[in-house]
Amino acid sequence: MNALNATKTKTASRFTWPAWGWSLIGVLGVWLCIIAVGGGNPGGPVLQALSLAPYLVLVSIGQMLVISLGPGNIDVSVGAIVSMASYVSVAVGALAGPLAGLAAAVLAGVAAALLSVIAIMLLRVPPIIATLATSLVVASATLLLADANRAGADAALRGFVNARVFGIPVTAILVAVLTVLIALALKRTMYGLSVAAIGQSTLAARKAGLRVTSTIVTTYLLSGAFAGLAGGLLAAYISPSTVLGDSYLLDSIAVVVLGGTLIAGGRPVVAGLWTGAVFFVLLSSLLNLVGWNLGAQNVLKGLLVVVVIVISSRVTKTGRSTLSRFLSSLRREPAATPTPADTPALTKENTHA
Amino acid sequence: MTQVTTLAPPPASSGAPHGAPSRIRVRGIVKEYGVTRALRGVDLDVAAGEIHGLVGHNGAGKSTLMRILTGIEQPTSGTVEFDGDGAATAATSARPGDVRMAYQELSLAPDLTVAENASLSDARRLRPLRWRAQAERRIAEVLDTVFPGHGIELSRYVGELSMAERQVVEISRALCSDEPRLLILDEPTESLGVDAMRQMYAHLHVLAARGVSILLISHRMNEVLEHSDRISVLKDGATVLTADAGDVTEDDLLVAMGGDVRGDSPRVHDVPVVGDAVAGSGERPAAGETVATASLAGASLPFEAKAGEIVGLAGLAGQGQDELLDRLWFNGLSRRITVPRRRAYVPGDRQTSGVFALWTVADNLAVAAARQLARAGFVSLKARRTLADRWVGTLSIKGGASAPITSLSGGNQQKVLIARAFATDAPLVLLNDPFRGVDVATKDELYTLMKAEAAQGRCIVWYSTENKEVAHCDRVYVFRAGRIVSELVGDEISEERVIAESFDEHQDARDARDATTKDAGAAA
Repeated sequence: MNALNATKTKTASRFTWPAWGWSLIGVLGVWLCIIAVGGGNPGGPVLQALSLAPYLVLVSIGQMLVISLGPGNIDVSVGAIVSMASYVSVAVGALAGPLAGLAAAVLAGVAAALLSVIAIMLLRVPPIIATLATSLVVASATLLLADANRAGADAALRGFVNARVFGIPVTAILVAVLTVLIALALKRTMYGLSVAAIGQSTLAARKAGLRVTSTIVTTYLLSGAFAGLAGGLLAAYISPSTVLGDSYLLDSIAVVVLGGTLIAGGRPVVAGLWTGAVFFVLLSSLLNLVGWNLGAQNVLKGLLVVVVIVISSRVTKTGRSTLSRFLSSLRREPAATPTPADTPALTKENTHA
Repeated sequence: MTQVTTLAPPPASSGAPHGAPSRIRVRGIVKEYGVTRALRGVDLDVAAGEIHGLVGHNGAGKSTLMRILTGIEQPTSGTVEFDGDGAATAATSARPGDVRMAYQELSLAPDLTVAENASLSDARRLRPLRWRAQAERRIAEVLDTVFPGHGIELSRYVGELSMAERQVVEISRALCSDEPRLLILDEPTESLGVDAMRQMYAHLHVLAARGVSILLISHRMNEVLEHSDRISVLKDGATVLTADAGDVTEDDLLVAMGGDVRGDSPRVHDVPVVGDAVAGSGERPAAGETVATASLAGASLPFEAKAGEIVGLAGLAGQGQDELLDRLWFNGLSRRITVPRRRAYVPGDRQTSGVFALWTVADNLAVAAARQLARAGFVSLKARRTLADRWVGTLSIKGGASAPITSLSGGNQQKVLIARAFATDAPLVLLNDPFRGVDVATKDELYTLMKAEAAQGRCIVWYSTENKEVAHCDRVYVFRAGRIVSELVGDEISEERVIAESFDEHQDARDARDATTKDAGAAA
């Protein structure tokens, strides 16, 4: 317990930054590179990124909530849901107006997530398998919808997603408001507390009297809903397509991780979704600028995610990271000397961490 | 525990602490973590073939000292000599297998089998093919020698074992290697049944007679006094007393540990204030009103708990107490259980089902009460903080409300978990053996808190593996083989009575066996 005072003075005296600090540095770095390589108006690339990033942020909100539920929780059906929802939005929108179209897209996402929830909660299928199965079902539905439907998005919706206020896309503003609400909900509602608690220990969450089952169900349904909304909007911003959502699966996971959310669960970082998403979009434009092809870009993205996971697992603890902790993790390999005799499988006692 | 200790064999004349060369010689060990001194000059000598007791409150530095002895950490200054070879630490001088340790928090991987766990830390080589059979044979040998009749299947996953069985495996794991020169046992008997405990101590004396040095860390003073040759007391990171076990009494040790640990803590007067703060919103029943009932399968007495009382669940570990608590907690759809809508639970296994490791003390403390603090789904940060601050103050949780929970010592973490349950307005509070590895002073405070809470109409159902704790209960149900076999009220409650009731089963089993053999004989 004396170690406690030490930790306190340490963190107080040294510079600490939030978990999304790393991706913010990434954003600034890539932005400077773009200006250096491409020249032109320095605000241009950022405004451009802000028109694409909101969709990625939307999908990533759901992914972040799911990942925060703890080890094993992931939603690999978001990509397929985005594609399907784009057709649903257009088809229903043509019949009943753009708002109804968006609502239908969200509902379609929820319906797809319901399949995953049934598999996960009732049949006890691991989430990665359950959502993979859902995405196959959804992909088939998308093909059917694509055959039946050749319409384009409603003009009003198209106008809405392209609208700008002082040069900033309206969608970016609205999604920003949404992320603030999500951040508030995570800090201050029973649902938010439960997500973080379940991610740290489902067993402990049950014993603390939290509603574990309903929280997990809600989270997967929300993930489906956000993916559906993103698909519905993308149908107007780009156009419905069977491969529209493909990149959103891996990108959403990457954004969540880059943003500082713990991949092991228990600590969602909402602000990091924006820094992560903007970083990704900017990175793509930089690589396009210098002439990398899509395959090479994906290799780089994959490497980035691995590097970030390795670094963050060493550096961060309970939400704060320090540069000195990072440097010390590079200097000293963790206890290379084996214990003389007794190497316990797990040393849980960690009072003086 | 008086009855228990008489069952154990008298200490064998093991080793000669005086004059014998030191097996391990610790001089002036200082360990600093940043600005904090965890150890400020520890001296310790353990002779070959000696059982050396080590006692001290949580946070006295026992765990740190053990980490240095096993070589997991290096001291800031000071020396550890192993068999007089003058090396700086045990880590460099001891050969693999020389120092073995059974950990209090149990160092077992839940997703590996008993045999796999044991072979992980076994210094001996395994053959490349069919190694599993070899590993099973090795651990089986230890288990059968030390704990005959243990009944543990070697191919079971450790995660499926009961706490008592895991402890047996942990101790056997430490012994499953070449014979060590120093064996360290950290709270080995916390969740051990009485039989297993007796077997373990008997084996320790055998090992000591063979020349193995044993360092025994325990909060159970009577066991340390009975089985050690010498005892050292650690206080605030330094050794304050080393004496022959025959020359000291339990009181001497408690005084040396720095505890004014006797009697009721003065905090009893603070407690009601805290209770009132939350009680207002609750559905608190009047004292004496029945809060929970359960009927168990078979020829079991019915379970009933009333408002304002502390109901103890006693008996040997793993006789159905866990199952009853689980049923009271999860309720399910069973019609054989009635419980109030709001309930609170204090888990015993704080590492896996207690603390939320990423959160602060305040977050951990207020999580269960958050629902009743919520207004329209929103929980005010300020209300949570106020609640946490009040409890941190009342239970004097070291470190304060904004400290990360993992920076607290085990005893203080346990205080947080207790406070979590009592911070709710639940009329029924379930405790699942929460005082494992908690020091005497902390226990005392928590007992007092429980009594004060019960006096306010809270109903507390308390499963304890420590028979001494029944003294704090108003009523005690003794469990045997999944059934409630007896109910003790008032003056009937005593350790001796509980032990007697818990052990009748052995008599029953013998009777049953005799009967079957007789039948078989008759049939033949």
